[in-house]
Amino acid sequence: MAYLSRRHLLLGAGAAGFSSSLSALTGLGAQQAWAADTSGYKALVCIFLFGGMDHGDTVIPYDQSEYNLLSGTVREGLFNTYNSDNATSTRNRNNLLALNPTTTDATDGRQFALPPELGPLHNMFDAGDLAIVGGVGPLIEPTTRAGMEAGSAILPKRLFSHNDQQSTWMALSTEGARYGWGGRFVDVLAAQQSGQNTSFSSISTGSGNVFLSGQDTTPFRVSGNGANFPAILDRRYYLGGTDEDDAARAAIRSHFANADLNDSNIYSQDLRSSMSRSITNSELMIEARENATPFSTEFPGNSVGRQLQKVAETIRVQQFLNVSRQIFFVSTGGYDTHNNQADQIGNLHNTLATGMAAFKDAMQEIGRWNEVAVFTASDFGRTQIDNGDGTDHGWGGHQFVAGGQVRGGQLYGRFPVTDPDAPDYTESRGRVIPSVSVEQYASTLGNWFGLNSGEINSVLPNLGNFNSSNLGFMSGVGV
Amino acid sequence: MAAKELRLRTLAIVGAFAVFAACSAGGGDDSTGGPNVAASPSKVNTEADAVRFLSYGTFGGSQSEINNLTDRDAADWLNTEFNRSPTYTLPRLLSEREADGEIPNNTISHQYWDQVITANDQLRQRMAFALSQIFVYSDGPDRDQAQRAYYQDVLIRNAFGNYRDLLEEITYSPAMGKYLTYHRNRKGDERSGRMPDENYAREVLQLFSIGLVELNMDGTPRAGEPETYTNYDIVGLAKVFTGLSGKGQAFKDADDDADYNPMVMYEDQHSTLEKSFLGTTIPPNTPGDESIRIALDTIFEHPNVAPFISRQLIQRFTSSDPSPAYVERVATAFENGSFTSFAGRTFGTGQRGDLEATLAAILLEESLFDAPENTGLDISGGKIREPILRFAHMVRAFEYRNINSANEHRLTDTGDPGSRLGQHPFRSPSVFNYYRPGYIAPNTRSGELGMTAPELQIVNESSAVGFNTFMSEFAFDRSPQREDAQDTFQPNYTDEVALTDTPAELVDHLAMLLTADRLSVSEREAITAILQELPINTSDADRELEDRLQIVGTAITLVTNSPNYAVTW
Repeated sequence: MAYLSRRHLLLGAGAAGFSSSLSALTGLGAQQAWAADTSGYKALVCIFLFGGMDHGDTVIPYDQSEYNLLSGTVREGLFNTYNSDNATSTRNRNNLLALNPTTTDATDGRQFALPPELGPLHNMFDAGDLAIVGGVGPLIEPTTRAGMEAGSAILPKRLFSHNDQQSTWMALSTEGARYGWGGRFVDVLAAQQSGQNTSFSSISTGSGNVFLSGQDTTPFRVSGNGANFPAILDRRYYLGGTDEDDAARAAIRSHFANADLNDSNIYSQDLRSSMSRSITNSELMIEARENATPFSTEFPGNSVGRQLQKVAETIRVQQFLNVSRQIFFVSTGGYDTHNNQADQIGNLHNTLATGMAAFKDAMQEIGRWNEVAVFTASDFGRTQIDNGDGTDHGWGGHQFVAGGQVRGGQLYGRFPVTDPDAPDYTESRGRVIPSVSVEQYASTLGNWFGLNSGEINSVLPNLGNFNSSNLGFMSGVGV
Repeated sequence: MAAKELRLRTLAIVGAFAVFAACSAGGGDDSTGGPNVAASPSKVNTEADAVRFLSYGTFGGSQSEINNLTDRDAADWLNTEFNRSPTYTLPRLLSEREADGEIPNNTISHQYWDQVITANDQLRQRMAFALSQIFVYSDGPDRDQAQRAYYQDVLIRNAFGNYRDLLEEITYSPAMGKYLTYHRNRKGDERSGRMPDENYAREVLQLFSIGLVELNMDGTPRAGEPETYTNYDIVGLAKVFTGLSGKGQAFKDADDDADYNPMVMYEDQHSTLEKSFLGTTIPPNTPGDESIRIALDTIFEHPNVAPFISRQLIQRFTSSDPSPAYVERVATAFENGSFTSFAGRTFGTGQRGDLEATLAAILLEESLFDAPENTGLDISGGKIREPILRFAHMVRAFEYRNINSANEHRLTDTGDPGSRLGQHPFRSPSVFNYYRPGYIAPNTRSGELGMTAPELQIVNESSAVGFNTFMSEFAFDRSPQREDAQDTFQPNYTDEVALTDTPAELVDHLAMLLTADRLSVSEREAITAILQELPINTSDADRELEDRLQIVGTAITLVTNSPNYAVTW
């Protein structure tokens, strides 16, 4: 089929309606020169694991006694579905990949291990490129089991509910929140850096956009080839190849790019401005990507790998997008492992680990690993006590942070003991009471990203209730 | 009356309408509710009114359906629809089985498109589509097709029935059992501490019945937003949904047809413990089916059910952001199990939870029939139509011929936002549907006004372009086909080609047929100017027809991508 070059479409015909895209292109040329120095670039990459990742099947107790308690009693049914007594089982203790951090404050000296499917992350941990933060979750204030039982603890709303806890992780309140902390970080930095094109400050490759939405920030959604364009403008088999057809295409393009046609309906106004942004931003993204050379790093063809590849490609052309701070949102689902967990979580882990490792390789290939921090987030952790072949909704969980400036090879936060009756857990079914709030986790990342403490406090309303605003897993803090 | 007060309150929300409303508020507001059809506010007087009403109650109106509705009372139309015989899915699916007993991949998806486009029982199919977005079952490509067909038929069969019956049939459906993982859910085990799977217990409360927060009848949260249940209720209710598995010889030995028959109770796997939730306690050793009956009765009795379900149903039909007064009127019909139209026709059995009455209250809502400038007042900005509805409407409006979706590559999976609809029937990313009923879009005008806009949750740069491309492929009759010789999904553009010499008239015609005349003057002028750029070469007949069809395809691409096609108000 006949694909028209965007350049042809934009520049080839002298028809009316071109002024807006021409000025955009001219502006872009000027910005390339202005932004050629890439120093000072930083990117945060959130990988959201929809469904609630079972932290207990991700970072696994390794001390013999703790492992035995978990596999023989607390999660006996689940470990049976793994055939963990079998020497080849991924959950046989001999096949787990022990973590050897230099300090064990986060575990009171207990040892933990990763399952073999997370091998690439284990390698990154050993190389100092990856940290693990234990017991992270939404909190209003430091919270204990005793405080909960006494009824004095102030708890986040609608715990254990998927949509509300996703929203709380991303936007610090339940469903209906309009701004996420990623978008607010961009708002704050954009206000200080005139001339930045905030259209490309927050970029999503996945679903859900509240994390990246700020008061002045609307995420750009990257699609298959970075950006796409309406077929009627793109392909000659709709309209033909005559000058008149070119003129009509130009007029159609202007029409779709027009943000204001006096619509009386409010939703129509919103939809029209979305279509308009879509046309103009897609053109800019497509033009910028014409500067890209392919990576020699190969990304795995799974959902995380494909999305991280788009992130890497976008970072590679960042200077052509005229932006020096970017936050990306990558998402993947399937973590709601109520049943058949043994059949599912290994693949999910493999997808996550191979994707993250390829991203690290790609960033190292272009010398930018020190400029990125990749972190995971998820609805919640899951119950310590299984339901036979799966686990149910929990609260706190463990998360990964990777990047050249991560103080890797270390465990942060707190990793609960195995016994579900311990005060690490709520009294029903072993749901982890977080020891680290999402806001502390976000604050540590925001600090590295360039926000000062006043700015961070303006984004994270409960941070002041905790005695530390920096968990220490990022170096190079303070720009 | 309450509606009037509400109008004053909501004037701020629809600021753009304020000027008009001040002139004409009250114009359509003097109904007496008497039995006189001619004076009934729900009389469909004009072609535009008919198009608009069909956009609410069907997958889009064809010219003949528009003509058939014009000058009738919408209540009569509803009565006809309620009495049409249902079009079911499973029999047709099973008839497609091959010699080896297998059903070709994706048959269920293809049949779905054929069904909603061609079936006569449009309101029932539309209601089933609405229910599929509340009682969400999502079929990954690897799930059993007959299982989905059975589930679709549960929704179709109960579309005008009672909510309580619907909830029970859903609970026993193998599709939901597997999707929410309580199929073969075992009772707890004291020795190891193993507990029953909590998945269905949680989602049946949060999503299918009462929601998280206590509601007033108008759908707003009660003061202080008290939560409807705690985690203890979930742990208690989880024990109820144990012991269910496919019909067969044993818990783990199902019959071949188990996927399209109700699940059955295996008592030895059902919890014998006491089960406490929502203030009800089921005594120890209560049999499984009895436990489920008590649990579903308890859920059904909760006062949240009427406003919780009513508001979401309104969102699927007429308004993405209904006023509290509208929600309360519909919830009242749900509670009473009956609704009486302006002209005196009564819908529903009188039993609480009657969905026919509920649906009648949604579609005969007085403000829907008000003057265009005023309708925003109870339905707020109107209804942002799902991409699925927007596509089906185009196909139905132009009476596409040879509807055989199995021949259409694009219809196998319309989920990709970058090149297709960003939405495929019965394939939402999770049980939370494609979008949430409380979604407020960041950085939008509607968001600033606090208007909910669920459907905007799947609108972004990528999806706007993908939808554009998808619609143009079908508008230009260029959708890729498995066998070109079949030439499926052929549009009938006879009327439109005849208007190509007068582009302004063509645009007016499309504005009527597709947007109920809501396309703005500015947009009509802009589209007309584009069409005037396109040449018509009259040197030979084939070339001329091609040029004229190009104008029609362009015009339809432009109108179906107008936001005023997406929104019905």
